[in-house]
Amino acid sequence: MGKKRSRLGLLGWAVFLLFVAVTLPLTSCGQSKPVLNVYTWSDYIKPGLLSRFEKENGCLVEIDTFESNEAMYAKLKAGATGYDVLTPSSYMVSLMHAQKMIQSLDHRLLPNLSHVDAEILKLTIDKTMDHSVPYMLTTTGLAYLKSKVQNFKPSWSMLSREDLKGRMTMLNDMREVIGAGLKFLGYSLNTTDEKKLREAKAVILGWKKNLAKFENEQYKTGLASGEFLLVHGYSGDILQVQKENADVTFAVPEEGTSISSDDLVIPVGAKEVKLAYSFINFLHEPAVAAENTEFIKYLCPNQDCYPLLSPDLRNNPALFLKPEIRAKSEFIGDLGDQNALYIKIWDEIKAAK
Amino acid sequence: MKRSRLPFVVTVAVLLFFYLPIIILVANSFNASRFGTRWQGFSLNWYARLAHEPEIWRAARNSLIIALTATAISLLLGTLAALALHRFAQTRLQRLHFTIVYAPLVMPEILMGISLLMFFVLAGVGLGLVTIFLAHVTFCISFVAMVVLSRLQDFDFSVVEAAQDLGAGWWQTTRRVLLPLLLPGLVAGALIAFTLSIDDFVITFFVTGPGSTTLPIRIYSMIKHGSPPLINALSTILLAITFTAVVLSQRLSRSKNKARA
Repeated sequence: MGKKRSRLGLLGWAVFLLFVAVTLPLTSCGQSKPVLNVYTWSDYIKPGLLSRFEKENGCLVEIDTFESNEAMYAKLKAGATGYDVLTPSSYMVSLMHAQKMIQSLDHRLLPNLSHVDAEILKLTIDKTMDHSVPYMLTTTGLAYLKSKVQNFKPSWSMLSREDLKGRMTMLNDMREVIGAGLKFLGYSLNTTDEKKLREAKAVILGWKKNLAKFENEQYKTGLASGEFLLVHGYSGDILQVQKENADVTFAVPEEGTSISSDDLVIPVGAKEVKLAYSFINFLHEPAVAAENTEFIKYLCPNQDCYPLLSPDLRNNPALFLKPEIRAKSEFIGDLGDQNALYIKIWDEIKAAK
Repeated sequence: MKRSRLPFVVTVAVLLFFYLPIIILVANSFNASRFGTRWQGFSLNWYARLAHEPEIWRAARNSLIIALTATAISLLLGTLAALALHRFAQTRLQRLHFTIVYAPLVMPEILMGISLLMFFVLAGVGLGLVTIFLAHVTFCISFVAMVVLSRLQDFDFSVVEAAQDLGAGWWQTTRRVLLPLLLPGLVAGALIAFTLSIDDFVITFFVTGPGSTTLPIRIYSMIKHGSPPLINALSTILLAITFTAVVLSQRLSRSKNKARA
């Protein structure tokens, strides 16, 4: 019996101690260093840089991660607060700006904005960096297996090649696919002209006959294993596949393509606004931006970090577009009410046999 | 008469359907390849990398703290609820109580997540470990209460009366008669609460705050931008822990059955 009593007693102590363990960190918050809360994609900042920022600013950085823009938006919209820096994609930034969920930026606190690539800024939606600073760029393009695809031409017309029938995929993304069709025809991928959209639809239906599927994740695996020979995908993903299969090659269609960006923003209601500014400024120090780019394999659009990159990345067409192709490329913008037109065309494309 | 082979075939098919994906996942966690489509040799690389991912371990620590505390508290409250429900089953108040306790079992998780988030925001409670803990206790109580209640239903209360006859006080009866006899039910309830808490994603996603990312949330965000094989390795470790827990709980319930036979 004595044994049993001590066991029960032990359980009680364990519960009590756990409670203390949970509540203690919460009560001791007041006296410790300020904490910067960053809400971002996973593996989107090099860990070593974080500890450097912490040391330089005498603070702690907490990273929390989301897996989609929509999930992050839903959570903030429902009233969740406490985050100081976010990294949504541009289209989500537009939406959050329209809903007054993010702050206008004070450029006096961000001297490093002078390093941001002016050529890229021309393409972005928030051209004056009024409320967002571009953080990482990715390009959509075509990736293929060099040894298996004969006479490759960097053009969207590859998707109509009969000999690759059933071994190609396109992204399952309305704006990317319709955008590719529009670019192939030489139109803007943000057009709301129904006639142009109908033309693009006809082109895409021609491609669809040759596609295995519209797909966003498996294409990486499929390309690495040789199941697919040519895929429509994001540069960041393809660079990861390249590590696995050296035969994989990335090309940007000469008709132009879409560029997308994740941006640094400060939400309304952030507690550590000052630290948030320091953090954004820190990420755009050329040396930091270069180190980050090497780690994530997306491109930080910081023109003074480019010379610091390894030649491997510096000469990579997935990261740096040729000027003449870049001139033809665009950011995917928010369409507002006209979105419905795209949805209609997209549904027709998906439903067509 | 020859015995039909059909049941055997069906059993094998069902087992394969259940366990093949898990086996593939475990195998891939030892695959040197990043995308797991081709076998590029045995490697413990992903496990080694896992050791250098402080974010993951922080998330694991958060998950453990919450699962343990939520289990302890929901075990206490759930058992008390079950006792009340059993003892006063016929009163109208307890029938209402039963409905309230039962509701979270059938309520869609997303509904619970959003309403809890809105409640916390309205009440001005800062989101963090505490809110996750409260949310988990909320849904764990129901599971614990149901498990303990089913155990109580075939509980012979004359034993309690006998103890009281023999001069045992309230505390003695509870501790030396009621609790030991209820123990298998309590352990089962605690294990369910623990497993539910440690792998809950939907509700946790809504009530988590800065600096309190749990393991499921971390894993989910890694699928998009992180390294899939790391998740395989992590899942394998979690599977090993879960299987151990399941085997332990089966052992416990088996010894319980033996004792009763």
